Amino acid sequence: MTSASPVAMVQQAQVGMRRSALRHQLQSVASGKTSSVSISLDQAGVDVGALIEEICDGRALDSVEIQRLVVVFTNSGLTDQVIERLGAKSPQQRARSARMVGALRLYDGVPWLAGLLDSRDRGVADAAARALGKIGGANSARALITSIQRRGLNRRLVAELARSAPDMFIESALGEPQRPSVRPALAMAAGLRRRAAAVRPLLALLEHGSRRERVITCRALGWIGSGTAVPAIRELLQDQDWKIRMSAAKALGALRARSAKDALKFLQIDPNVRVRRAAEQALHQLHEATLSGA
Amino acid sequence: MRPGTSTGFEAPRPGRPVLAADDRRDPAPQRRSDRPSPSFHDLTSRLSALESAPVFYSLPDGTLRALARRLRRIKVHAGEMILFQGEPGDTIFFIERGRCRVVIEKPPGLVTVAVLAEGDFFGEGACVLNRPQQASVYAQTECYLLALDRQSLHLVMANRDQEWLEELRRTADQRFITFADASVQATWSLLLQEATVVGVYSPKGGSGGTCISLNLVGALSRRHPGQVLLLDLDFPYSHSALLAGLIPTSSLARMSTLPNDTFEEVLLSAVLYHVGGPMILPGALRPEEADEVTPDLISRALAALRKSFRYIVVDLGVTITDATLALFDLTQHVIVVAAPELSAVKSAADSIDILDELGTPPDRLSVVLNHRTEKPAVSKPAVERMLKRQIDVEIGFDGGRPEQAAVEGLILSLTNPRSEMARGCEALAALLESKHGQKPRANEAGTETPVGVGAGQPG
Repeated sequence: MTSASPVAMVQQAQVGMRRSALRHQLQSVASGKTSSVSISLDQAGVDVGALIEEICDGRALDSVEIQRLVVVFTNSGLTDQVIERLGAKSPQQRARSARMVGALRLYDGVPWLAGLLDSRDRGVADAAARALGKIGGANSARALITSIQRRGLNRRLVAELARSAPDMFIESALGEPQRPSVRPALAMAAGLRRRAAAVRPLLALLEHGSRRERVITCRALGWIGSGTAVPAIRELLQDQDWKIRMSAAKALGALRARSAKDALKFLQIDPNVRVRRAAEQALHQLHEATLSGA
Repeated sequence: MRPGTSTGFEAPRPGRPVLAADDRRDPAPQRRSDRPSPSFHDLTSRLSALESAPVFYSLPDGTLRALARRLRRIKVHAGEMILFQGEPGDTIFFIERGRCRVVIEKPPGLVTVAVLAEGDFFGEGACVLNRPQQASVYAQTECYLLALDRQSLHLVMANRDQEWLEELRRTADQRFITFADASVQATWSLLLQEATVVGVYSPKGGSGGTCISLNLVGALSRRHPGQVLLLDLDFPYSHSALLAGLIPTSSLARMSTLPNDTFEEVLLSAVLYHVGGPMILPGALRPEEADEVTPDLISRALAALRKSFRYIVVDLGVTITDATLALFDLTQHVIVVAAPELSAVKSAADSIDILDELGTPPDRLSVVLNHRTEKPAVSKPAVERMLKRQIDVEIGFDGGRPEQAAVEGLILSLTNPRSEMARGCEALAALLESKHGQKPRANEAGTETPVGVGAGQPG
């Protein structure tokens, strides 16, 4: 254990005080006590974006607190500064600005954030994706899909797509012609969002999709918890591809599909060890569901 | 935008990002045209959908155009789910073309609280009030919807009329209450076990509508003796009582001038009792009395009768009058009778289209094919092709039995269960029981009780 030098301790205390003062100032604005703000976005050791995120976290787009912050930021010229910094030289500045744009739900920043999704700096790309997820709306979702087309299936992009996509966006996109990487991403996003309206397009994908699409769609239907999908998934337990069998077993476990119990028992002697394990896990889930009376 | 130049809740405008120096690794972010501009005709069509929507029509042209540019067009096939009750939502859907059914799941069944058509919108409760979806919405026909997400709405309205947003919230709240009330009332009617009203409509004379109504009442009476009523509105000549061997002395038409306090009592006293169990209330005794049966009188009568019976079967006859239309609104199930003849099938197809237009849900409509001759001119598959739907119940040729029964004043479903007419009506009664069957009342334990009001998939 090393003890910090007195100078470092003083500096740390100063940063803490600045952060505390800034938090207080932002909270005053959000609560309507102050209608003006004077903030430098380049305070040493203080991440303004993180503080704004802290205040805006969990608030709805049309919440009064966020609207107050946006109005005050706009009147003080900070909104322009934040958006301008999306094109800054430093990746750190760009990432912080992206976080601020996301936290304040600045919808006008969507086209600039879309450009940052292709950044070679992973921190910047992730911050932009998160910001788009927070802002939401059809344009944010389209930007994320475009990025998935270029970068392939990426967990962060898919999670933010699930968060940002408005009602019926994923469902209608599933019905349109898409590039190979996009359809599995859409299926996964529908599953993450537990979109009951997506069950029908997902069932169509389960029937006509590629191997990868079927594997992901099985899991998505399991997450959604759609009982109507059980017969279609049960048929996949006999598929030649082990990954599809494994995915179907996992989905049936998640769906607590008692009607598939016999078929799952049969999978316990599957030649593939991962399929056997998935079947055992699914049977365990069914057993637990029976005990709990679910 | 410069500091101090704006007041109020104004949307922020982005500045052009400063391009980074040459040595940076990433390309500078470029503004992309993520939202392709709609064509002139497309924009006009979107504007027309917005202008015909309640609340939105009051917006100024500029705002409407800004909203129209941000709409997403979605095509939904018939029967598909659009919104699911209880899920979070962020989009208002305008119906550009087609019809949607708004359904609230309220055990023991589903309650249809509204059928929305062109010019209506839905999803506003979740979008502007941040509530979970109050109801599920299904496309009843193929639909073209225009979707407006929350972000676009707030972006457009940010520096515009805030009072309008408040009005939209009030409308959403009002509709929320209306739907909640409608579903509660429907549930009450189930809990209070009020009668299920079944309309039997025969679009072509001579298809056997009255005969089927009478035998259906007979079949239902065997299950619920003394609790099934036939209301004969087959105007101008109502002969159900005559066919059942009863002599009517009063009718619904003669109640038109009665005050409210004595209406129910006098109405029930006009009901004729058949020894086999069914009861019959004639609509009019003379052809000229038919005009006295107004939609208002029918509503009053049904409100009174529903408390006393389990099933009310209404023989609607051939013509579509105001009274028939009022009845279509009040019925929980409609049975269309078709004979396998070209003109009868064509009439049945037209009437199914009309019922569809009136918003009758497909699972609340049944088609009966009644064979009046030994060798039908049109085969069953051909009838189904013309009707664009399956026949629910087929009644085979029964020789001269129905006519003979009429002469003798008998109801075949009570006196001759083996006859084709009795078997067909028994199947029809079973169908109705499966869809509208209720639990037995406390004093009737032992009677058969299929439960599951509206258990089918809506849409």
